[in-house]
Parts: sequence; C-alpha cells; structure tokens
Amino acid sequence: MKFITLSISGLLFLNSAAFAAQPSGPIRIGVIQPMTGSVAYNGQAYVRGAKLAVAQRNATGGIGGRQVELQIEDGQCQPANSVNAAEKLIQRNKVPVLAGAFCSSATAAVMAVAEKYKIPLLSGVSSKADLTEKGMKYFFRSAETDRLMAKTFSKILAGDLKLKTVAYIGVNDDWGRGGVEDFEKYLNELGVKSVMKEYFDHGTTDYYTLLTKLRALNPDGVFVAAETQDGSILVKQLKEFGIETKVFGVGSWATSDFIGLTGEASEGIYAAVPYVSNMQGDRNRSFVENYQKQYKQLPGKYDASGYNSMNILMQAIERAGSDEPEKIRDALHKTDYDAPNGHFRFTEKGEGYGFDTVLVQIQGGKTNVITQAQTDKP
Amino acid sequence: MELLPQYVANGLVIGSFYALSALGLTLILGLMRVVNFAHGELYMMGGVIGWWATTRLGLDFFSGLLLVAVVLGLFGWLIDRFLIERIRDQGEEPGILLTIGLSIFLANTALLLVGTAPLKIESPLAGGPIFLGSVVLTKARLFAVAVSIVLMIATYLVIQRTRLGRAMRATFQDPMAAKLVGIKTANIYAGTFAMGTVIASLSGMLLGSIYSTQVSIGGLVSMKAFVVVILGGMGSFAGAIVGGLLLGLAEALWGGYVATGWVDIIGFVLVILTLLFRPYGLFAKRAERA
Repeated sequence: MKFITLSISGLLFLNSAAFAAQPSGPIRIGVIQPMTGSVAYNGQAYVRGAKLAVAQRNATGGIGGRQVELQIEDGQCQPANSVNAAEKLIQRNKVPVLAGAFCSSATAAVMAVAEKYKIPLLSGVSSKADLTEKGMKYFFRSAETDRLMAKTFSKILAGDLKLKTVAYIGVNDDWGRGGVEDFEKYLNELGVKSVMKEYFDHGTTDYYTLLTKLRALNPDGVFVAAETQDGSILVKQLKEFGIETKVFGVGSWATSDFIGLTGEASEGIYAAVPYVSNMQGDRNRSFVENYQKQYKQLPGKYDASGYNSMNILMQAIERAGSDEPEKIRDALHKTDYDAPNGHFRFTEKGEGYGFDTVLVQIQGGKTNVITQAQTDKP
Repeated sequence: MELLPQYVANGLVIGSFYALSALGLTLILGLMRVVNFAHGELYMMGGVIGWWATTRLGLDFFSGLLLVAVVLGLFGWLIDRFLIERIRDQGEEPGILLTIGLSIFLANTALLLVGTAPLKIESPLAGGPIFLGSVVLTKARLFAVAVSIVLMIATYLVIQRTRLGRAMRATFQDPMAAKLVGIKTANIYAGTFAMGTVIASLSGMLLGSIYSTQVSIGGLVSMKAFVVVILGGMGSFAGAIVGGLLLGLAEALWGGYVATGWVDIIGFVLVILTLLFRPYGLFAKRAERA
C-alpha cells in the first residue's frame, strides 16, 4: 500500500510539475455511474448531461487551454463494483477527481476509497442524508436530500391539497424508507394523520395487494417514493384499481419518460423534484435548448444532475489553476455556481445548498410548475 | 376479512402469471435435463420483440404475439442445434455454464440494441376496473389469465396427446431406444428447446402488456421461475401450475396481512421448507432419475 501511495504521489508531483511548466494533455475526470443493471436507465441520463457540459466547455477552449476528458466506468449501483471502478480510475487512469456514484450505498463505499487516495469525490445523485455526516474531507454532494425536500414542501402540500390523512408507500431501500420517514415527520407536525406505511421491493411489478389495503383505508392523499419504472407501474395500477386520491411523491417522477410510460394515469399527480425542464430562468432555457439540440429529447432530473456536477468540477479545476486533487478540493469549497436550477454552494461538510427545487403537477401530459423554492443552508 | 376475496383474486392472477412464466423452464428441465439459466432472458426477448413489433412495425397485438412465437421458436431451435448440442450427455455443469453465459450475452446484446428504458406494450384490452361483487379486476388482466390458461392447456395437449409429444417423451426416457424405433432425436431435442423458448417469450410479451418490460428484467423472472419449479417439483407440469398459484397466493396474503416490504422472502421460505420436507417438490413423479 505504501508503495502505491508513494508512486501515486510521485506521479501527481510529476503531473503538477508538467502543468506548471507547460500545460499539456487533457484533464481527466473520472465518472462512476450505473451503465448496466436496474438503474442503468437513470445512470445513462446522468452521463448524457455530463457529456453535454464537457462538450460545451471543450468547444470554448477547455480549462486553461487544456481539453477535458471523461473517463466513465460502470459501477452498477453496487458497492463492490463501484469500489473497483474507483480503484481503476485512480490507479490506472490517474484521474485527479471523481464524480459518482449513483446509489447511496455505492457512494458510501467509494467515499472511503476517495478519502484513502485523497481524491475529491462529488456525488450529484445520492440523497441519503447521513453521507455528508461521516466526517469525510474529500466528499461533496450537489444533490437534494429528502429531508430538504420534505422541509421545503410539507407546508405547501398540507395546505394546498387540504390533506388530513395520508398513506405512505416507498421502495424498500435506504432512500425509500428515508423519504417516507422524513415526509411523515414533517406532515405529522402539521397535523396530518398517517393511516398506512408500506414498502415494496425494487422491480416489483404487481401492486394490487398494496392497493387493496389502500382502497379500504381511502386516505386524502398518497405519498410515494419511487423511481421511474416502479413508480409508473404503481400509478398505472392505482388508476386501474379505481382509486381516486391525490398522489404526490419524490423520485424521478416529472420526466417525459415517466409521463410516457404512465400515460393518462399520470394526470394530476404532484411531484417534488429538484429539476424539471420547464423551470423558470434564462440559464435553464439555454440548457434545455442545447440539450434538445444534442439528444432530441427534454432533459430530466439526472441529466441536469450530470450537467451540474461536471460544471461544478470544471469550475473548481479552473479556480484551482491546476489538476492537483488537493487544490481542486480547496477550490470546490469555494463553489459558487450558477446552474440551470438556481445557485449551488457547499457547506464545510460538503453539503450542497442554495439551488432551487420545484413542486409540479402533471397536467395534459406536461409538468406544470406549482412552486419553485430555494433550499436553505442546512 | 372483507378484503380476503380481493387478496385471493390478486393472488390467483399473479399466480397464473408465475405458472406461465415458469412453464418453459420446467419443460426444458423435465424433458431435456438442461437447467436453463437463460430462461429470464428468453422471456425478456419475447417482451422486447413484442414491443418492437407492435410499436415499430405497427402490428396489432396478436400478430405481434405470432411473430414473437415464430422468431423465438427459430431462435430456440438454433440455440439447441448449435450450442446445447455440443454439451449434450456431458452432465449438468456444462449446461449450467453454457446457459449462464448465454443469459449474460443476451442481456447485454439487448442492452446495446434497445437501451435501458422501460418499454410499454399496448394491451389489446385497455381500460378501467371491472367490479365482481367487492372484487376489482381489469379486462387486460382477465384476458392475460385466459391466454395463460389456453397456452398451458395447449402445451399439455401437445406433450400428452400428439405423436410429437409421444416422440418427445420417448426420447427423454431412453434416447437409444427412441433412435432404434426411428425417431430423429436431434430434431426432438431442438423442438423441445424451441417449445420452451416460445412459451417463455409469449409470457414475456403477454405480461409486458400488463406491466411493462425492460432488458434487465431477466434475472428477476428467472429467480421467480426457479422458486416455482422447485416448489412444484423439477420438471413437473402440474407442479409448475400449482407452484405458481401457491406462490402467488402466499405472496398476496403475506403482503395483505403482514407487510408488502418483505414479500420476496415468502418465496424463498417456501423453497427452504420444500427442500427440507419434500426435497423433490410437491409433484415429483419419482425420487431418483434413471
């Protein structure tokens, strides 16, 4: 191990020496995302956004005359594979900075590797609240946590939708359980009673059992924490089953894919999301325009997250004036990034804040922004 | 208790889907002694090709189903002639390695060609709920259950009542004697694998119209199918059906009265109990194979 660390620091030294003397060669950014497996769909959206950001940057001269190059590895949302990917990117590809991984459990595993090699790691997706509470010095997060979302939107939900009783349904993992707990806590404080709390496993296709319970309880509203695939099937079956209640949720709900998959059943659903393509502001308008030009579709939450992550990293490298990991980390703390969806900064713990989140309602196959709210410093 | 009829109805519907999706696996296992780990991927191919036929070629649902049957039948035939042929009579391990390799190959090829997005197949019978007393069902589900039953009966009749079926059973009881009486056993092997593939792919398309399909679904389908097959007895036709219904009912009742969060536990608990008390499954015809 000592040998590896020595040789790595030696290489870094060589790198920086070369940089100081004459900037040459591309600047590499390591990306770990699920490119295969159950959330590959979302991981690939992140990579599309990331590639767009890098292409834009390179078209205007890169960073200090050097081009930026993405090194993408498949972490499959699994801790073991993501750690392998991180080791490979750091040791073989010699990346000075990492972005990823997608799932919170995978990110937690990669975090330790990044800490060991003193390489900054930025996650634009993993939302488990305690990731930034582990005392890691090289970890940053530019994603919303569910606690942040729950805090921002509970009052609006309880008031505007006139909810008295709510049923909670979440996917059976850290994220789903966390989302249900957080929303339940904040809604309970506002006097909303919870009548049901149920979880389902990733990849479940049949929700009739769960819906049978739900129909018998007949609550004013249903809170759902689910990703595109699971969520679309759940909502479709909810309508099939003849349940007429207000549905609101977190996850990648307000995307054009979700609406396409769910069809008419998506009408009237509320979703609390960090990004939708029709958010207000000129920066978002130009992002959407460029994205559409490139990919012939509208960007979703994860496309925006990949785009933002890369821009945050590239701006930090520019501020650092070098691709030394240590300097990049220091520069990341000074982040002040104007994103399509608001304004990103980091706390001392590396927690992102200041960006906007939105509550949308799906109407006529489109996401209709109900409110756009800035996240406070946690 | 007033929810019980609904839970039972849910369980029976899911159960018949489980039975159908395990049928191809148990057929190939029972007749050919090949443990087909690529079963879920063949199911996935049915869904993906069905989606492609109905949305890209503009075929209606039934023509799509027919196309899936023809394409995957041919595909299954070729897999047997070119791949499984090479490892025939070499014990079970080469077959396991071969089909695991095949499943990885198929899943990743599909990933490359179709991508990761979930795919929606339009059901020929869309629409809202139907109320039967206090029980809610949908037309699309009743239709899928009906098609499942028809497919199961057809398969049964082919194996039990036709010359082809008799030749199949003869070949797998004693290949040498079958050859001596003039059965072209190579064709029988290929035909059986093709039949298993067709059933797997048809269930893939049918269930894709109820839920949705995606290229990474194979693993989950294989897992449930293996639970059903172990429960019912390896290679037993009736076992697959009873095993499927049992699993569906158990999951629905567990989900209804305990918690939906751990519903996948129930299948494996049933498997462990089966292996402890009836290691050859509920419907195994004989304890040891010749």
